Amino acid sequence: MEPNRKQDSNRLATFVWVLALILIWELGATLVAQTKRTPENVLPHLYQIVESVFSTKLVNGSQTAFQIVLANAGITLARAGIGFMLGAAIGFLLALLMNLMKTVEKIAFPYLMIIQMIPILGMAPIVLAVTKDIDKSRVIIAAILTFYPVATNTLAGFKAVPGEKLELMHVIAASKFEIYRKLLIPSCIPYFFTGLKVSAPMAITASILVDTLQGGGGLGTMLSQSLKHAMTIYVFWQIVFLSAIVGILSYHLMSVIEKLAAPHRWARKVKLDEPAQLDEPA
Amino acid sequence: MNLRSSMNPPEEISVRIAATQQDVSNPEAPAADRRRFDAENLTTLLYPIVFGVLILILWQTQVLHRILGADTFTLPLPGRILTIIADNAPEILMNARATAIVALTGLLFGSMLGYLLGVIAAVFPKWGIGGLTVVSAFNAIPIIAVAPILNNLTKDFSRDADTRSMLAKILVVTLMTMVVMSINAYRGLTELKPYSEDLMKSYAARRTDVFFKLRVPNSVPFLFTALRVSVPGSVICALVSEYFAEYIVGVGRQIRENIVLAQYATAWAYILTACLMGILLYAILLAAEGSLLKGRR
Amino acid sequence: MKKTSKGKSINLVALATVCALTLSLLAGCTGGAPAAASASAEASSESVAATAAPEASSTEPSASAEAAGMYYDAAATVESIVKDAAGKGMVGNWGLGNEYEIQALLSKYVQPTTFLSQAFDMDGFDDDSILLASAMTYNELGLVKNSYDGGYKYGDKVKAIDMNDEGVAMLEDNIFCTEAFAKANPNTVKAFLAASMKGWKYACENPEEAAQIVFKNGSSVSSEHQAYMASEVKKLVETDTKGATVTEYGKLDDAALQQTLDLAKKYIMLKDSVAADKLKAMTLDDIRDASYLAGSSSAGTPEKSSVSIQLKWLPQAQFMGYYVALDKGFYKESGLDVKIVPGGGDISETTAVYSGQVDFGVTWVSNLIAANAGGMTLTEVAQVFQRSGLVLVHKVN
Repeated sequence: MEPNRKQDSNRLATFVWVLALILIWELGATLVAQTKRTPENVLPHLYQIVESVFSTKLVNGSQTAFQIVLANAGITLARAGIGFMLGAAIGFLLALLMNLMKTVEKIAFPYLMIIQMIPILGMAPIVLAVTKDIDKSRVIIAAILTFYPVATNTLAGFKAVPGEKLELMHVIAASKFEIYRKLLIPSCIPYFFTGLKVSAPMAITASILVDTLQGGGGLGTMLSQSLKHAMTIYVFWQIVFLSAIVGILSYHLMSVIEKLAAPHRWARKVKLDEPAQLDEPA
Repeated sequence: MNLRSSMNPPEEISVRIAATQQDVSNPEAPAADRRRFDAENLTTLLYPIVFGVLILILWQTQVLHRILGADTFTLPLPGRILTIIADNAPEILMNARATAIVALTGLLFGSMLGYLLGVIAAVFPKWGIGGLTVVSAFNAIPIIAVAPILNNLTKDFSRDADTRSMLAKILVVTLMTMVVMSINAYRGLTELKPYSEDLMKSYAARRTDVFFKLRVPNSVPFLFTALRVSVPGSVICALVSEYFAEYIVGVGRQIRENIVLAQYATAWAYILTACLMGILLYAILLAAEGSLLKGRR
Repeated sequence: MKKTSKGKSINLVALATVCALTLSLLAGCTGGAPAAASASAEASSESVAATAAPEASSTEPSASAEAAGMYYDAAATVESIVKDAAGKGMVGNWGLGNEYEIQALLSKYVQPTTFLSQAFDMDGFDDDSILLASAMTYNELGLVKNSYDGGYKYGDKVKAIDMNDEGVAMLEDNIFCTEAFAKANPNTVKAFLAASMKGWKYACENPEEAAQIVFKNGSSVSSEHQAYMASEVKKLVETDTKGATVTEYGKLDDAALQQTLDLAKKYIMLKDSVAADKLKAMTLDDIRDASYLAGSSSAGTPEKSSVSIQLKWLPQAQFMGYYVALDKGFYKESGLDVKIVPGGGDISETTAVYSGQVDFGVTWVSNLIAANAGGMTLTEVAQVFQRSGLVLVHKVN
């Protein structure tokens, strides 16, 4: 198996799929264009969306549609970033705590799930009452929405440490702190990154979601304004594509960081995982 | 309220799977020690319940409010919430039913479609993986963007607003659950035990035999992993898609109406309903998983 | 992964069971649904969770009548139009507290108070899934009629039913704060109102300039539509529900407020019995305080100089008075540093003010009534819009 050739053919396949998707979209758009009076509200042609990106027409006092999207993307991504880091920290600490104390794990685990099930509309007023500030509330809610994968994956990482290694640590009479520092924490890092990779795109969708809680700035606010026809509908379509792209990029960013943070681990992982990822084990 | 699961590219899932299995099989507690196992189970159930009751007491006695700095208006007392549920039981049930139909139908279609996609990807890996990559990109689009698009696209489906709204809502859930299932199904169909396929080959098994006797059984635990993500996810998706639907019904819509109208106690009655629905479905799933996979570990 | 090779049969059973379970659950649900739907249709006249009653018999003719006769004659009476559209279940409103006037109108013509949830665009009206659509005179009605960017270009091919003419008007945009805030900062409230009303006066005298100011201050509504909006908003600020001219900006018109409160009591359906009782007992004194507006000219030094106001909706000429006051420095002259917070999100202005996140808010009187019934202690200090801006728009043949 030559990984490079495989990767190329994978890329080709993805490309063909994207083409197929574009074709379906365009077919739909053509159909919509013939039957609706305002097709751009339902499904515009892709070239219209691209055109709107490069359009120089000002849609408010000073910005074009794309400038609005970019300016607000900055706000949303900043919040997503802070929320994500906060969520990752909370997730890691929770996992550590749960691993240290079985009781905590038993108590917390079901409730972590339940918290995820509370609609943010219910959560938001309470968080707002506590913080009295909408932007802090937004970051906190984004963190609440993203810590779960990190916590579960990291906990899984702690538990995946082979028993014999732990026994060895006990045999050499290592302290609890040492066990964590030398064995548990290093070996849970890949799992931690797995959690990060899941929650990074979530942080972005969560951040867009919490934008819609109130006016001000942010992609979500613009998305809802655009849907409410307070500005050109193409802002909405641009945000749809931008959020998808940024979401995917955020995932890859985590991979890159993982690579930088633990290069040797990555190298080993690739060797182990690569064949399995593509086909059955060689 | 967004796609909770989000992208789980193949690599992630395997780790999660490994984790869950580690979790359940619990190598350190051999099955022989039944009594200890039962005690474990008991505390697993008891601790959260005791904690929950404690929180409820703190909540009802408003100690929780003092800690959080909230008042009984934004965080209504449990007693009042329960009174509202009791007073409006038929209506709440009607809304819960509408939401349940959306969540479950979407879950069913989405999971079946996802599994089918996984099968296609496993049978034709060359094209399938590319397809999965594209499908997983859907997960990076927030639901609040997807729901209005689908709502608009299904306008011509029926002249009856309830029917077309229902379709739009189900499609949102289908899309979300499909992504999770397809990636996990693919993983389950291809991530075989080392050498098991070679073994099958050495028996001169046909491709279909390898598929049905090796790959499909292998995918079942992965199927449940997907469901663990998509069962709560489907409820949340259903709630959000209701915000945008034309026909006014469902728990999610009621939550939004009441929050916007500042009727927090009523909103919390519906939030509680939503949580209970999610927990109930998840419990059913865990029970099904427990009984079906028991002999396999 | 430990698994046995005999897993196949187990798995098939597993899959079958899961599917069967789900299907049976679903069957149980759908089986019960029609009964529930009809029950809700019966209860709907008393229910705020207005579920549109789908009437199979009436959708048939409207579907086949694609020809010229589908809409209403220009001379048709309001009663006949409302009855027809309501009978077909094709009256639209946004819900979320915007529906009470529509429900009052439907009740006036003895129709069930159910409606379709209308999106915040007029596509549903455009594609005929809604025959009688809600619209604000200053916003949606303009989009439907006009042909600028985002408009639907109907021109004279649409007519509107005015809530004021029908006697079911409820007052909309006001200025409110919490009772506690008003008591603690009377001078701030007075100064804020004085400067805001000065802004409104200027805006109404120069609507086109006001529209430009709003546009400049971050609104993304096109400048043509903004100008239209300003001219329509001016009418709402300067005319009362009876059509008489109002010269005192922000005046608390007790007769109109009382009508609003009466209608609110009838159509705001609260599931929470505590809140419902509170609503029933509510009087005008619970929701408004005219003293701050009257004494606004003789305001002392503001107790709190840095204040914020959350709007009911997105930044647009609907709120031009505040933007003008900010832009022209009226707030600064009164010793206030004002921040305008756009609305339109799910944290409503009532919640934002109540939680102390902002000091003032602009909301509809009915929303303030509902919030106070729910347990907030908000008080209206000025009534900016003197008449209802809500209309029901329909196409004419």
